[in-house]
Amino acid sequence: MLTIENLHARVGEREILKGLNLHLPQGEVHAIMGPNGSGKSTLAQVLAGREDYVVTAGRVSFGGQDLLALAPEERARAGIFLAFQYPIEIPGVNNAYLLKAALNAQRQARGETAVDAFEFMKLIKKKMELVNAPKDFLNRSVNQGFSGGEKKRNEILQMLLLEPRLAVLDETDSGLDVDALKVVAHGVNSLRSPDRSMLLVTHYERLLELIVPDRVHVLAGGRIIRSGGPELARELDARGYDWIATEATA
Amino acid sequence: MTNAPLHSVANHPLPGPASTRPRREAALAEFSAIGWPTPQRERWRYTDLHGLVGGDFDLAPSAPQRAELELAAPLLATTPAANRECRLVFVDGHRIPELSATTIENLEIADLETGWRGFEASYADRIATKDHPLAALNTAFTQQGLWLRVPARTAVAAPLHLVFISSPRAALAPQPRIVIETGEGASLTVVQYYIDSHPGSGWINSVTQVQQAAHSKLDLYRIQRHSPEQAHTSLLAAEVGADAELTVGYMDLGGRLVRNDVDVKLAERGARTELFGLFLAGAGQHIDDHVLVDHAAPETRSDENFRGIIGRRGRGIFNGKVIVRPNAQRIDARQSSDNLLLAEHAEIDTKPEFEIYADDVKCSHGSTVGELDADQLFYLRTRGMGEAEARELLTAAFAATVLERVRDLETHEYLVGLVAAELTRIAEQPK
Repeated sequence: MLTIENLHARVGEREILKGLNLHLPQGEVHAIMGPNGSGKSTLAQVLAGREDYVVTAGRVSFGGQDLLALAPEERARAGIFLAFQYPIEIPGVNNAYLLKAALNAQRQARGETAVDAFEFMKLIKKKMELVNAPKDFLNRSVNQGFSGGEKKRNEILQMLLLEPRLAVLDETDSGLDVDALKVVAHGVNSLRSPDRSMLLVTHYERLLELIVPDRVHVLAGGRIIRSGGPELARELDARGYDWIATEATA
Repeated sequence: MTNAPLHSVANHPLPGPASTRPRREAALAEFSAIGWPTPQRERWRYTDLHGLVGGDFDLAPSAPQRAELELAAPLLATTPAANRECRLVFVDGHRIPELSATTIENLEIADLETGWRGFEASYADRIATKDHPLAALNTAFTQQGLWLRVPARTAVAAPLHLVFISSPRAALAPQPRIVIETGEGASLTVVQYYIDSHPGSGWINSVTQVQQAAHSKLDLYRIQRHSPEQAHTSLLAAEVGADAELTVGYMDLGGRLVRNDVDVKLAERGARTELFGLFLAGAGQHIDDHVLVDHAAPETRSDENFRGIIGRRGRGIFNGKVIVRPNAQRIDARQSSDNLLLAEHAEIDTKPEFEIYADDVKCSHGSTVGELDADQLFYLRTRGMGEAEARELLTAAFAATVLERVRDLETHEYLVGLVAAELTRIAEQPK
């Protein structure tokens, strides 16, 4: 599904990703863990196509396509979804409008017919129940005045609606209390399927108790320095990151 | 009437019955003494009427003929003023009875010439013509005009639409004058439209005067959607009484050279005003808003929000002045001016001015000039929206936050559609 080879990327003058390799097969859920500043969010933004993150070397292939050649909207239409760590507030743009426009942009790119307002409401209502979204969620401006938890649930709602082939969740657990975390995890788990892959970028192990990954990768200094099964996450939680960094440089 | 270069305006024949002549002559003499506003005056620093003054205009156009009226009807059908019973229509400065309501419940409708004595005493002399020379020109050349009065403790149920249409006749410069009075506790919503029945190159110079008694409420919206070669100057001079409320919404979507002056005096304790505006300035358009709020009494409140969207080779100006008089304690004055530049070679000048002579006041102002937010654009694109579509959506959203202040739902909806169409026009202008 997703293969990253020797990826180098910089922001401004600073090189952040320094030769990252990762293979995420179809149907699997992988977690990327690592200390602050290791490059986790940069990886998420690069995959989504953020223009001020400049790729200086390496390749990313997604379902056989050269991902780096695609504009952000083309990536989205190809089935990539990024749940933002800090979802953007857009005053004046109605949340329902965004959801419907996004869905139809992607449907049309796939040669499907656009959904009308009636079909959209039917579709979105079910998804809203899944993430416990309040009724006025649709009528508010995108993320404006949303609490931290509401913003994250809105990201998950978008993901449930768009049903991406690859979901990248950037610190979706940060700033959530236990109950909100459960809601988010439930939403994500409901989307797990043999033809969908997920990349969970996280700092803490607690999300991975609720969404159990197939593989865990440790990102430090701009590269994957260790990979393992779900037990690696528990070990990191108990021991921190320093020991791996030491082993890796040793 | 005849056309003649505006710089020799003193020779233009004055309109109206003989009884109105002395005041008109005085106004014309006043105007001639002050002279045309030029960029040498601070208030007119950015707006040069030079091109206008060189033109030949008829300042008091004759009444339109059937051909002109037939063009007006289909225009009206596309606005919320489609229903004749809630509108008054003017073509080239003349009120057209066959297109207008005859009576409206709780509203006294008169013209200025009939009540000229009262107009002279209460309104003609009230405007400081040194600051607003074009108002003197308006007094000299306005024709029948319009005088609206809502009696005390009554409400006009539906919005009143005042539609000013410019006909295809060449080089006209009508000078409409509107007086609106709300009695104690009365309420009224007025929507003014300025539209052209064909792409013309005329000039319209309008003056609206508002007098609000205590506890009255007036919502006044003005929608200017001239064709690309029209010039438009306007003055709104309002006096708001005790605990009365004035809402003013200015939407400038068209025109080549546009200058709006809004002067609001919060004259008595507890008077409040909410002022907002949106202008779209595309290639070759110059739009200048000068807003003055005078806090002349204690516990008065003003809230100003103006937004400009400027395309390539467009030009916008916002000047917001607030005066707080020495006795005007415990007032609250807020002002914001936010501007969006859509391209290079777009220009905006925005300037707040506060003159505060009281010590127990709350005043705030902020102004921003910027491009579309890169984070918002990226976010929308990651959801599958194309870049052009995302830009259009965010630009419309920038406008939407002003449009949301329009309380009349039908007018609001109409504006949303109109602004979307105009934004597309600006976006499609050659780079």
